[in-house]
Amino acid sequence: MPRTPPRRVAAPAAAGSPVQGPPLSKDSAIAADVKALVMSGARDAARERFADLVALQQRRAVRIAYQYLRDVHDADEAVQDAFVKVFTHIASYREDLPFEVWFTRILVNGCLDLRKARGRRLRWAVPMSPAGDTVSHEPIAPDPSPEARLVAAERGRQIAAAVEQLPERQRTVFTLCQVAEHSTSEVSQALGLSEATVRVHLFRAIRKLRRLLEHER
Amino acid sequence: MIMAHGHLSDDQLIEICLDRSLGARERQHLDVCPDCVGRRADIAQMLTDVTDTVVAEADAAFPAERLARQQARILHRLAQDGRPGRVIAFPATHAVEPPGPRARPGMRWMAGAAAAGMVIGLLAGHLVHDLPGQAPLAQVVSSRPRPAAGAPALRAVSTTLTEEEFLGQLELATQGSAGRALRPLDDLTPRVWEVSAR
Repeated sequence: MPRTPPRRVAAPAAAGSPVQGPPLSKDSAIAADVKALVMSGARDAARERFADLVALQQRRAVRIAYQYLRDVHDADEAVQDAFVKVFTHIASYREDLPFEVWFTRILVNGCLDLRKARGRRLRWAVPMSPAGDTVSHEPIAPDPSPEARLVAAERGRQIAAAVEQLPERQRTVFTLCQVAEHSTSEVSQALGLSEATVRVHLFRAIRKLRRLLEHER
Repeated sequence: MIMAHGHLSDDQLIEICLDRSLGARERQHLDVCPDCVGRRADIAQMLTDVTDTVVAEADAAFPAERLARQQARILHRLAQDGRPGRVIAFPATHAVEPPGPRARPGMRWMAGAAAAGMVIGLLAGHLVHDLPGQAPLAQVVSSRPRPAAGAPALRAVSTTLTEEEFLGQLELATQGSAGRALRPLDDLTPRVWEVSAR
C-alpha cells in the first residue's frame, strides 16, 4: 500500500515551544515561499506555489479528515476549508514552526467544528437513506482469492469497528501518530497537549485496540 | 523495567514497537525470551494491520481523481478570493433609465400630496394618543403583570439567525426543565422517517 514518504523526525521539544533545527522540511520551505510571495503582493505566484503545498499535504490531510468525519463529502469539505484558511492566514505563519503542525491544528479544529455542526443537524433533520456515500472496509488486497478477500474484508470491518470504539481523544492521537505519522512531539503541539498526555492517550488507544481485536479473534 | 515474573510489560513492548529507546536490559531479555518476542510481534502486527486498514479505507474513499478535483476546487476558491462580487441589476430591464429632471409635472403633484398626507396622518396620531383621559400606550403595556423573577423568559428570535444558531437555540431549549417534561410526549410521537418507512 502506498504510504507517504518518511518525514523529517522532529527534535523532542516541550509543548508549545518551537521545534529547533536548521533544515526546514519541504512543506515548511514552500510555506515560507508562499508567505514571502503574499507579503510582496505577488498573489498569483503565491497561489501557484501553494498548489505544490496542497499536492504535498493533501493525501495525509484526507486520511486525517476521513478518520475524523467518516464521510467522504464532509472530509472533502474539511480539507478544502483547511487549505483555504491556511492560504488566507499565511501571513501569520511562523517559519520557525513546522508547517505540518500548524496545518494539522487548523485541519483538526475544522473537523471538530464540522462534526459538531453535523451532530446538530442530524439531531433535528430527517435522515437520508442509510446507504450513503460510504466506503467498504475491504482493504486493497494483492491476492484476490475469494476466501482471502472474505477474511480480509471481515478483519477490516473488525478493525474499523475497534477504532470507532476508541474514545475521541485516543482516536485523535492514534490517527495523528499512526496514520498521519506525526511524532508525539508534533501531536502535542498540534493538539495543545503535553507530550506526556499524548503518550498516555496513545498507549491507552493501543491497549484498547489490542483488547478489542484479540476478543474478536 | 522488567516485570516481577521476569517478562517485559505490555507497555514496554508497545514502546519498543513505537520505535522508542530500547534499554540494555530489555534488549538482553528479548534476546533470550521467545515469549516476549512473540508478544512484541503480535503487537507490531496489530499496529500494522490497524494502520494499513485505516489508511486503505481513506485512500479508497479518495482516489487520485477525487484528489485532483479537490485540488482544482481549492485553487479555484483561492482564485475567487479577493475579487469583488458581481452585482446583478434588479430589475434588470427597468433599472436602465433612472428618473431624471424630465419627470412629468403631474407626478410631482402626486408625490407632494402623498408626503402631505403622511405628515397629517402622523400629527393626527399624536393628537389622538395625547388626548386627556386616555392613558398612553406605554403605560398600558407596563401595567400588565410582570413574570416571576425565576420564570424562564422567552427570547426574541432574530430573523437573521443562521441555521447553526437556530439549531443551537433549539438544543439549549430542550436541555431545560421544560424540555425534559416534554420528553415522554416526544417519545410517543412517531418520527417522519418511521411513518414513511411503513
